[in-house]
Amino acid sequence: MQTCRCLPANIPVAPIFRQSRRCYARGVPAAAAISVDRLVVNRGGRRVLDEITFDVAPGEIVGLIGPNGAGKTTTLAVLSTLLAPDAGEVRIAGHDLRRAPQAVRRSIGRVPQETALYPTLTGRENAAFFARVGGARAADARRAAAAALEQIGLAARADERTAVYSGGMQRRLSLACGLLGAPPVLLLDEPTVGVDPQSYESIVAAIRAHAKGGAGLLYSTHNMEEAEQLCDRVVLIDRGRVVATGAPGHLIRGALPGLLIDVVTDEALPRGWLGDLAGAREIAALAATGRTAPHGIAARAALEDVALAPRVLELAARERTVLDFRVHRPSLHDAFLTLTGRAPRD
Amino acid sequence: MLTSLGVIVAKDLKLLLRDRAALLFLTIAPIVVMSVAGFSLAPLYGADTDERITYDLPIVDEDGGELATQIEDALRGDESLEVRRVASRAEALELVRGKKAGSALVIPAGTRDALAAGRPARLVLYTDPVRFLDRINMTLRVAKARDVLADAERARIVAQLEEQRANVKAQLEELDATVQRVRENLATMRREAGEERERAAGAIDAELNRLQADVSREVDARIKEVVAQVDAAVAARVGALQQPARAYLDELATTRREFEAWFAELQRLAARRADRIPDPPAFPEPPPELERAIEEPPAPIELPVNVELRILPPLRAALDALDALAVGDVDVQVPQLELPQAVIPAASLGVEEISIDGGPTEINPFDQNVPGFSVTFMLLGMLFAVALGLLDERDWGTFDRVRALPVPMLSIVVGKLASRLTVGVLQMTVLFAVGFALFRVSLGPQPWALLLPILGIVFAGTALGLLAAAIAPSRDAVVPVGSIAILTMAAVGGCWWPIDLEPEWMRSIALAFPTTWAMDAFNDLMLRGRRAEAVYESVAMLFAHGAVYLAIGLALFRRRYSRA
Repeated sequence: MQTCRCLPANIPVAPIFRQSRRCYARGVPAAAAISVDRLVVNRGGRRVLDEITFDVAPGEIVGLIGPNGAGKTTTLAVLSTLLAPDAGEVRIAGHDLRRAPQAVRRSIGRVPQETALYPTLTGRENAAFFARVGGARAADARRAAAAALEQIGLAARADERTAVYSGGMQRRLSLACGLLGAPPVLLLDEPTVGVDPQSYESIVAAIRAHAKGGAGLLYSTHNMEEAEQLCDRVVLIDRGRVVATGAPGHLIRGALPGLLIDVVTDEALPRGWLGDLAGAREIAALAATGRTAPHGIAARAALEDVALAPRVLELAARERTVLDFRVHRPSLHDAFLTLTGRAPRD
Repeated sequence: MLTSLGVIVAKDLKLLLRDRAALLFLTIAPIVVMSVAGFSLAPLYGADTDERITYDLPIVDEDGGELATQIEDALRGDESLEVRRVASRAEALELVRGKKAGSALVIPAGTRDALAAGRPARLVLYTDPVRFLDRINMTLRVAKARDVLADAERARIVAQLEEQRANVKAQLEELDATVQRVRENLATMRREAGEERERAAGAIDAELNRLQADVSREVDARIKEVVAQVDAAVAARVGALQQPARAYLDELATTRREFEAWFAELQRLAARRADRIPDPPAFPEPPPELERAIEEPPAPIELPVNVELRILPPLRAALDALDALAVGDVDVQVPQLELPQAVIPAASLGVEEISIDGGPTEINPFDQNVPGFSVTFMLLGMLFAVALGLLDERDWGTFDRVRALPVPMLSIVVGKLASRLTVGVLQMTVLFAVGFALFRVSLGPQPWALLLPILGIVFAGTALGLLAAAIAPSRDAVVPVGSIAILTMAAVGGCWWPIDLEPEWMRSIALAFPTTWAMDAFNDLMLRGRRAEAVYESVAMLFAHGAVYLAIGLALFRRRYSRA
């Protein structure tokens, strides 16, 4: 297996990089793995992406988060060269997407939302095929396929048809195909949807290992907890626009400083139920959604200090019967909800 | 249970009603196919298709007589025939080989002479075995024209026989009158001859009687004279014999007495044994006539008076013979019978059918069906393999995964098409091999040449699959629409039945389908037994179809799946 001294020993190196005598992990440390500048895409007379801008640095995992229709898949399609942008500039591993699409393709690995595998081919055949089409020689493709299958724990079942694989195994194999050739940029579109915990761990481990190797990863997901745990930074996108960008903690703190208290009552609390309580404010977004708790209707408030929680409960009890409550740190999900007024899956 | 059963039935019906592809396949597809089949086979069943089918029939007159004109006239009575005279057999064959005419009729040299001499003759009808309906129609029409000529010939012969019969009858009547006159003349002559004969016979009889009397007198006189001479001679000789005869008789009487005395003595001497002595033989007594002849002079010879001479009968017989000779010399003027001309019976005029390429005129049905259904199923397979294959890849996501790899778009599409093209060629080759092994289909003089139309139609089918994939929004659209399109192309293009069964307007439409050109090429190679060069045009058309499909398909495909 061909390796680069800049990368972990178990990550194969794409022949194209050997041929170009360039090492992306060493050669472009300061440059962005992905650079998107005022990207615009119009489809069907509608602006799908409206001047979105973000970067992904080498070795960084950036989450692309947004509700359905926000433009995540379109963004990934543009970065994958599957869709031509109408305006803006995109550079992948230093290559301009418009001017050097083939170089961009050589630089990316793509793990689509669907498994994107040939069901009647075996795992090994699938991986070898994509390696070959990616430009590897036959022997190199076989070795790269074997290494990728080993990496995601499918070596033992590599010669079975993928149609008989479980959903989690197919996801792992899909990731392995995206990792073939150790691309400097990896584009992942919800790669863990519907997978079992074992596969999830395997997938996440492989992703982290690849990022640790210096690749820049753009990770599209609905799962806020997953993004919060996995991503170094997130790009919150809604209605084709970037709402916020930053590290999950930073975003959370910016959107929701302090703590959150969720109060479950038998009936919805009226607007202004907190009154003039200092250090606490009602989170309208949650109330507006009319979310129901298992035993009642939940209301949310932001607290500057946990000591305010009893007072909040008291105010709630004046209006309705309090069934339950929870004081917690705000999550990325909460931040997203606060920033966009709707949940990622809306 | 009944409730759940009803619910399930209702659900399935609802699913079906909302499945536009299934509904299309259930309704439109059979309607289209049955319409195509109905219109195609309408001429076969004799339906009125509001279109008169016209067959072009070149005629070559090698005989150089009026027979060709007569045949032309007989054929021109059929409005569905476009008869035209061409200069040579080679030109006519070229028209048929070039598919500008379905058949050609040749009137070989010497046909008229053979018929005139009562020898059978044959017209030669060159047919194209592939053009089944054309061949049958031409065979029937030429046979019908031949029958018209035969009827005319029979009528001419009958008229000639009638005329000759009338002539013979008149001559026989004249002969009969002549014979009657001869008979009457003969009767008159016989009567006159009889009378003459009677007169002659009377004269002859009188003359004969007179001659007979004269002769009788002369004969009597001569006889009496002779008798007198004989009497004298006899008397002389008897007189000379009487003395010795007397002496002998006397001596005989003496000897007898002496013997009787001796015998009496002997008996006495024998004494007692005298009775044992037999009686001595008795001496004969001299006859009294001898006694009288000796004693009396010889009597004169008595001659009959009037000796009758019978000389008449021979004379009458001679007269009868003269009568007969006289009647036979009658001069009769027999009319000269005119012999009728020999009537030559109408000789048979056959129609010899010859396949345009020298092969059998009847074809093996599998020669039509094996390529036809191979093309049909290849196209169906290609539609499903290419169009649905691409749509499957799109649905699986593998297509986008490959598109995102550093490989040219053209390689992605052409690579997929090339693999399908290979499979299609192998499929067709295997089907032809099976057809040859099981059904003994003809592979033509150059079996390798079949690869040309195979490559052409597989290429066109592959490109058509790409076009379908580029146009169809989903696999639900591909199956019914693609199936209808391919079944229609197969039916109209002559994959299921000979294309010449179809009406002219449908054959014109068929030129827009690759199936038509493929079948034309296969028919040329397999049925007509032609060589590879004969199918270059058809194969070129197949590749042209494929190129057009490919260009449009690629353009649409690029438009739909354009990349950065």
